[in-house]
This record gives sequence, structure tokens and C-alpha cells, in this order.
Amino acid sequence: MAEPAHTTAGTEVPAEPGGFPPFKTETYPSQLFWLTITFAVLFVVMWRVALPRLHSVVNDRKGRIDGDIAAAQKSRSDAETASQAYDAALSSARKRAQALANESRQAINAEVDKARAKAEAESAALMAEAEKRIGASRDAARQHVEGAAQDAAIAIVARLTGDQVAADEAVSAVRASQV
Amino acid sequence: MEQFRVTPLIPLHIGGYDVSFTNQALVMCVIVGLISLFTVMALTKRQLVPGRMQSIAELTYEFVGNMIHSSAGDAGYRFFPFVFTIFVFVLFANVMGLIPGVFTVTSQIAVTFALAMLVILAVIVTGFIRYGFGFLKLFVPKAPLVLLILLVPIELISFLTRPISLSVRLFANMLAGHTMLKVFAGFVISLGGAGGILSVLSIAPMAMIVAISALELLVAVLQAYIFAILTCIYLNDALNLHESH
Repeated sequence: MAEPAHTTAGTEVPAEPGGFPPFKTETYPSQLFWLTITFAVLFVVMWRVALPRLHSVVNDRKGRIDGDIAAAQKSRSDAETASQAYDAALSSARKRAQALANESRQAINAEVDKARAKAEAESAALMAEAEKRIGASRDAARQHVEGAAQDAAIAIVARLTGDQVAADEAVSAVRASQV
Repeated sequence: MEQFRVTPLIPLHIGGYDVSFTNQALVMCVIVGLISLFTVMALTKRQLVPGRMQSIAELTYEFVGNMIHSSAGDAGYRFFPFVFTIFVFVLFANVMGLIPGVFTVTSQIAVTFALAMLVILAVIVTGFIRYGFGFLKLFVPKAPLVLLILLVPIELISFLTRPISLSVRLFANMLAGHTMLKVFAGFVISLGGAGGILSVLSIAPMAMIVAISALELLVAVLQAYIFAILTCIYLNDALNLHESH
């Protein structure tokens, strides 16, 4: 290695095929020299160019997916809240409608009852009045009949017996016959 | 063994050292070019829904990210570019070596040992920056004092052999796989050239080559993964003393 004028490994080997190529130390400086250069170049390219790009691509995708999942979850929870709100509104509206229906039913019932009571009272009054009138006309008719019967009784008695019957007697006789 | 030979393409000497541009250097340049092209091209569109290339780049990115997180925790993310570069470099070197005629960079102990030393140095430097001399507690497990006499040298030796095991594992796997392929390929040629019924028999080693190629593809990917995950585990020592993730 220390002798620069020495022939290179490649030209030497055909002359002595017995040497095991990987152990030929005269090739080591060249191997290490080019390994250092190529590995250093590769390292810098990977470190500075390739890996940052890969990193950003992979992270962008991961961020995008995570963001999309988060957005989807938010939409779902929003939809759930909306549906809950809808259900609540629906049930409260239903309750109110029921209350209103009850109230109006009660109001109508009360009105109907009032109207019926009034009508009944009116008809009762009418009936009472009619009854009174009927009673009055019946009394009048009875008096009339009594008077006629009295007269008839007096006339009959006078014709049959010739006696003059007093009006009081006739009245009591008529009354007695009516019972 | 000529497939492991490093041959100069453009001779070059700097400061008395032979740093010729070799077939290996060419393959390493191609690897860097391919990886850069692949990772940068894949992201030119930056699609929200990724195409094929972008998917592969993203999968690799997330694979390495998970690897770091599972073995070194959140603190390990600081080493993301380092681990990612090691993983893709070794992966491409291993897989490209399977293409016939292409030099396998990682079949050279010099390369794998240099990478392993880079990892261990990163561990040591990080450990001392983070914990100062407290980093040396890494070699002192929680145990009775009597056992420590035994345990501290063991821990020390296990730490010091890490670069060796890390580099030799990758090197030997690549070397063995390619040697095996070469041996079977040699059978195909010698049987085929023998003539008669033996030529027909050469189909057997050919089938073996196909099978071993599939196995070697697995080994190539697996060894890249092992190298990267051991890097993470060793870095975890420096980041979280005695805390496993």
C-alpha cells in the first residue's frame, strides 16, 4: 500500500490466481475510498432530499385521513344532536297539541253543559207555565161544569118535586156526587 | 473466484494510495444513482393515493420507521437517515449482485467491515455524547458484585466482537451464495461439455441454480434487514442504556 509505483491488483491477479480476492489488502484503499464517497453521497441525498419528501407525503396523507375521520365524526355527532333536537321538538309539540285538545274539549264540554242546563231550565219553566195554565183552565172548566150541574140539579129537582132548592144545597149535592 | 475480483477500470492514485475507479466503485455509483432516482422519482407526483413506485418507496420508508421504533424507540428516529441509507445501500448491493455479471459490493469484507465500524462508531459516539462516561455502564449489568468479575469481560468482548460478527455475517452470506451458484454453474458446463447422456444430466445442476437463485434473493433481502435491525439494536444501547424496547 505504501508503494504508489506498485502495479494495481487487477493486473496482478491473473499472474497469481491463488489469492482470495476479498482478502487482497492492496484493493482496500480503493474500496474504502469509493465506499466513503458513494455512501456519503447516498446519505446526503437520502437525508436532505428523499426522506424529507417521503416524510411529508406520508404525513400529509396521515393528516388528511385523520382530518377526514374527525370531520366525519363531527358530522355524525352534529346529525345526532339535530335528530335529538328534532325528536324533542316533536314530542313537545305533541304534548302541546294534546294539552290544547284537552283544553278545548273541556271548554266545549262546559259550554255544552251550560247550554243544556239553560235549555233545560227554559223548558222546565215553559212546562211549569203550561201546567199552570192547564190547571187553571181545568179549574175553570170544572167550575163551569159545577155551575151547569147545579143549575141542572136545581131545574131537575124543581121539575120533579116542584120544590125550590137552595143554591147551597145544590152545590153540596153536586160536590158529593162528584167524589 | 474471479467474480469477487476488484479490477480497476480507471487507474487513479491519490497521496500514494491506489484509489483506482474499479468495477466495484462503478457498481456502488450505480447503486447510489438507482436509489436516488428511485426515491426521488417515486415522489415527483406526490400523489395522495400512491402509484406503484411511490407505494414501494413509502413502504420502505415505513418499514424502516417501524424497525427503528420497535428496536430503539422514539429516540431512534434521530438515526432514521442513517439506518435508512444503510438498509437501502446493503439491500441494493445484495440484490444487484444477483444479476449475472454484476459485481457484488457486499461480498467484500473491506466494505462490510467498514459499514460495521461505521455503525459501532456511531454507537460509541452517540453513547458518550448522551451519557458521558456513564456510557461505560453498558458493560456493567445489574448483577451481584461477584458475578460482575465474570460478566464485565463478557460484555466487553461481546461489544468488541460486534463489528466482526456484523460484517462477517453479511460478507460470508454473500460470498457463500455466489460461490455456490458458481459451483453449480461449473457443473452445468462440465456436464454439458462431456457429451452423450451426461449432457442431458446437466439439467439437474441447472435446476439447482434456479432454486438457489430464489434462495439467494431471500438471503439478499434478509441480510440487508438483519444488518439494519442490528444497527438499530446497537444504537438502542447508546440511546437507552439497559432499557430494551
